[in-house]
Amino acid sequence: MTTDDADAPRTGTDEPDERALDVAETLRLIREQQDQARDATEPDTRLLCLAWGVAWLVGYLCLWVSAVRIADGADVVRLRSGAGQVVGAQPEPWAFWVFFSLIVAATVLTIVHTVARTAGTRGVSARTGAMYGWSWMLGFACYGFVLGGLARAGASPEVMALASNALASIVVGLLYLGCAVAFDSRGLFVLGVWMLVTAGAATFAGLPYTYLVMALAGGGGFLVMAGIEHLLRLRRRRLADGPALAGRTGAVDA
Amino acid sequence: MPETELDPVIHAPARLRVVATLAALGSGDELSFPKLQKLLGMTAGNLSTHLRKLEDAGYVTVTKTHEGRTPATYLALTTRGRAAFEDYTAALNTLLRGAGA
Repeated sequence: MTTDDADAPRTGTDEPDERALDVAETLRLIREQQDQARDATEPDTRLLCLAWGVAWLVGYLCLWVSAVRIADGADVVRLRSGAGQVVGAQPEPWAFWVFFSLIVAATVLTIVHTVARTAGTRGVSARTGAMYGWSWMLGFACYGFVLGGLARAGASPEVMALASNALASIVVGLLYLGCAVAFDSRGLFVLGVWMLVTAGAATFAGLPYTYLVMALAGGGGFLVMAGIEHLLRLRRRRLADGPALAGRTGAVDA
Repeated sequence: MPETELDPVIHAPARLRVVATLAALGSGDELSFPKLQKLLGMTAGNLSTHLRKLEDAGYVTVTKTHEGRTPATYLALTTRGRAAFEDYTAALNTLLRGAGA
């Protein structure tokens, strides 16, 4: 049992003497090592949901604020008072800039984070992950062509605005459902269903409400998901620590 | 507590950490040597020694390959290694329940 002790590094703080390792401590060591391994090999859903939540919430709110007008009698004014009827207009260029910059930033963050986390892994999960990554690329490449085709066919700016948001949400929703299936995640399945509901609701709401629905339901959905994932993680850690701390008296006589 | 209940191959802390790390991956997944080394904070020589012992026990497969012109080594837990790790943690949990009662 102690013949290999010479091999083991004695300098690290998490390398206690073999004899001193009691059962609870050994289980804690295993759990910490496994948490660390998962953190180093799997993308953090909380971070990605947070990034996309902020991008959608802020981006779509900018589109909403710059698109919304109140028809107050003969005057069409910016949204300032509660009076009058809300009418849609094309969002202003600055809002589109903010929106697309945030989307690009979230995309870059997702790719960099995922590549960094999964580097140095090989096998089934890596292959599944690569196919999943390509699904996003292909989905949004196709999305671009479909929108181009609709514009060529003479779709109005309003139809283009509705179609671009609806199709993006459908692609996102379906890919989350696919991810839930591939990686057996109930949370991502719920998120996928929510995105599909958002796609339908945002399109039915019509402009300019589409932007508001996308911001609150879509961006909000991501943020709620990030929060739930974080709470679940804290709870798992707490549950795992409970019995181990309670049973620290049991020593392994090695 | 009888020592026979705990697998001596896994019981050494360094090897327990190697096996626990590899067991955190899905079955059919492999980890590169540098990434494993970084995760464990061990020297390459030290890690190699432990991996050889785990390989000899049939718990770990070591795959040597090339990525472009660079040689690369990948490690994975065998079915036997995963079963041994599960038995080991199950034995610890039994001991813990016994001790806590």
